[in-house]
Amino acid sequence: MNIEREGDFITLSMGPHHPATHGVLRLEVTTDGEVIAACKPDIGYLHRAIEKIGENLEWFQFVPYTDRVDYVCSMNSNHAWVLAVESLLSTSEETRLRIPERAEYIRVLFAELNRISSHMVGLGSMTMDMGAFTPFVHALGQREHINDIFERTCGARLTYNYMCVGGVNRDLHPGAEAEIRTFLDGLEAAMKDFNRLISTNNIFKGRLAGVAAISAEDAISYGLVGPNLRGSGVDFDLRRDRPYGVYDRIQFDVPVGRCYAGAKGRLGDSYDRFVVRLLEVLESIRICRQALDQMPPSSGKEDDPVGGWCVSKAAQKALRKPPVGEVYFRCENPRGETGYRIVSDGTKFPYRIKIRTGSFTALSIFEKVVPGLMIADVVTLIGSFDIVLPEVDR
Amino acid sequence: MTFSVGPVSDSIASWIAGLGVPALAAQIVAVLFVCAAPVLGIVFPIAGVAQYFERKVAGLAQRRKGPMVGATGLVDFVFDLALFFQPKWRRRQTARRFERLPVVSTVLGKVRMWGLGSIAADGVKMFLKEDMAPAGADKLLFHGSTYLAMTGAFLAFAVFPFSQWFHMGDPPVAALYLGAVTGLVAVSVLKAGWSSNNKWSYFGGIRSVAMIVSYETPIALSIAVVCMWSGTMSLQGIIAAQYHPGWFSIAGWNLFQSPFLALVACVYYVAALAECNRAPFDLSEGESELVGGFHTEYSGLRWGLFFIAEYSDMILVGGLFATMFLGGYQSPVGEEWIVSLPPVAEALVHTAILVAKAVLSVGFMMWVRWTLPRFRIDQVMRLSWTKLVPLALVSLFGLAVTQILTATRTGVVEIAYGRYSSAPVVRPDLFSWMVPWAVVGGAMVALVAMAKRWGAPPEPIEMRRLTGKGAP
Repeated sequence: MNIEREGDFITLSMGPHHPATHGVLRLEVTTDGEVIAACKPDIGYLHRAIEKIGENLEWFQFVPYTDRVDYVCSMNSNHAWVLAVESLLSTSEETRLRIPERAEYIRVLFAELNRISSHMVGLGSMTMDMGAFTPFVHALGQREHINDIFERTCGARLTYNYMCVGGVNRDLHPGAEAEIRTFLDGLEAAMKDFNRLISTNNIFKGRLAGVAAISAEDAISYGLVGPNLRGSGVDFDLRRDRPYGVYDRIQFDVPVGRCYAGAKGRLGDSYDRFVVRLLEVLESIRICRQALDQMPPSSGKEDDPVGGWCVSKAAQKALRKPPVGEVYFRCENPRGETGYRIVSDGTKFPYRIKIRTGSFTALSIFEKVVPGLMIADVVTLIGSFDIVLPEVDR
Repeated sequence: MTFSVGPVSDSIASWIAGLGVPALAAQIVAVLFVCAAPVLGIVFPIAGVAQYFERKVAGLAQRRKGPMVGATGLVDFVFDLALFFQPKWRRRQTARRFERLPVVSTVLGKVRMWGLGSIAADGVKMFLKEDMAPAGADKLLFHGSTYLAMTGAFLAFAVFPFSQWFHMGDPPVAALYLGAVTGLVAVSVLKAGWSSNNKWSYFGGIRSVAMIVSYETPIALSIAVVCMWSGTMSLQGIIAAQYHPGWFSIAGWNLFQSPFLALVACVYYVAALAECNRAPFDLSEGESELVGGFHTEYSGLRWGLFFIAEYSDMILVGGLFATMFLGGYQSPVGEEWIVSLPPVAEALVHTAILVAKAVLSVGFMMWVRWTLPRFRIDQVMRLSWTKLVPLALVSLFGLAVTQILTATRTGVVEIAYGRYSSAPVVRPDLFSWMVPWAVVGGAMVALVAMAKRWGAPPEPIEMRRLTGKGAP
């Protein structure tokens, strides 16, 4: 047994192929027995230079690459990119697009469905990291229904390439509304089962309560976003505070961490982040229902300003000669704020793309919160941050 | 000179001698058979098919079917073996063509196998995989610990009574012996973890030892409680002490004798789960934290030996729980008709009853595994030292006090059970039976009420939304 000894510490290399690191993350962990003294995240194993590739692609060709930025919520990534490009186009009156109303609703509907499926993966794999395999299977069962719906509409189950500048690639498939409503009803019941099975389980709560509590100041100063930020009690959600799409026409609450674990918990601990995600799923169900209610019926004509789904011709024309300038557009994705900074020099290729993702910033706080935790807590911490590695490395 | 371990081996020996075998040889064969049959005939087969049932239980918990591969899968397998020199797609193509033949497809469509083929597939896989030892491993310990893993469980079966005479031996200190040998599994896990030259394995081994040291204490205490109640440390004696004449023989089971015995049964079962390294105490394996824990580096048949050891331990725990609290091999619907059977028939019936009880317990462990998440190591330690050990001590003293206080009302009886006459046993009358249940039940109700009144503050209202209970 060869253990590099430095005092009483053991250096453990957790990853890049470790079952709990959700991909190719490597944590260099220095432990004193089970208790961790230091932790250094080591990333870059999945770097594909997506941002650089984007500089050599036409504007609309970059959409499939946004699928791969975060493959667990491709719809949301698409959404952020097309909104960023559309906001660039809207800086000039000549190129401004009038997106059909139905397309806006379809986008919000699918973004929220994908948020549900992404949270299902995150919540499920977090329980699996803690040795409970059954809730994981139940959660992924629900995700399968969403994948089925997406597949019938856009033909893909994981990387959708569905949204495009000017709308969405095709209309909802016939009968989609009824299918989605049935699914949402089933999901509500399934969530109650899931919560009775695992979320309110005492062992589960005990594992998460009080672990890796992050104060609101720390969460803001380390750049945590999305559910991780709200888990620390910061009430901020781009969908409500900087509404994009049709979110301003929809009623929903923003769940924030409130020390859900009770007496043993602390504000901003892993359990708060877990419950915030659970509540967000319930809010997403509300948003989906409202989007379905408010969505104008299809007119059967592609570029109809109300019942159409894409102004593709206008978009093609505008993208041949977009306005010169720079925009930064941010969207509320399942893993938090995803921002696209685009620099345009007026040609049909972007001059520069920079993607800002939630998982990347979440990793930066590891060095601060991990020391003092146990090895098993690091696993739950990775799960509670819901890190997806392609989003970290891009 | 005669060899015998009781009437069962005697009747088998006389049957073999009737075939023309010399008497001494027949006796030796019969004794060997009685000694080896429990492990080879009962424990091994159950452990072998346990993986199949584990998968089926997982399927039930997860609302799916589990392994369902049928006859078509077997045909594919045969073609794979026969046409091993061809590429896989070609083998599959040939197999599909064969399966689509008119008669064959009709037959294959009618054969249902419920996925039982996966048992054979698992076995074949285990044998065919390469047996590797990592570079830098301590070869002797690395290989040796696999054998040690099974030793503990199998040694325990040496004193394990399957029926009145179907056992290898019945030492008067069987309980002490059990405590000694069941701890062996920790040694094997520690050695496996240490010798693998892998830090994850090392953590698994250390965790296992920390857990066994903590959980032997409540186990030993709960065995002591049962021994105190039964007045003997012999397992046969403990079973005989639970005898109750008539059809309502459940009334004699230790589980229902006193609330303290019921409490200690819970303590024992939880602690035994931990000693088996089963979920939610499977920290030494901890597949999501420690990759594979102590058996990260093991492959093929060596991994299979650990696996069989785990299931043998589970069967042992189920059997011991039945022995100590559920009347052992005694049937729940009267004993007299079994005891009056000839020796071999009696042994078979009793063994079947005990195995049924043990298998139910194994099924319960599987159910628990597919339901609960895993503890953290400090929580495991805290559970043992702040909950299980005090509870076991409380029941030890509670039972002792009950025995003293009700001594004038209860009869100390010597139970004559079949061919076995027990040590003196305390049998409470109805009043001395009801008073402790009432006292302990009242204390429990009071505790729950106090916890509700002065316990933790109410949860945030959103938590109610999650489960739909009293939703706003």
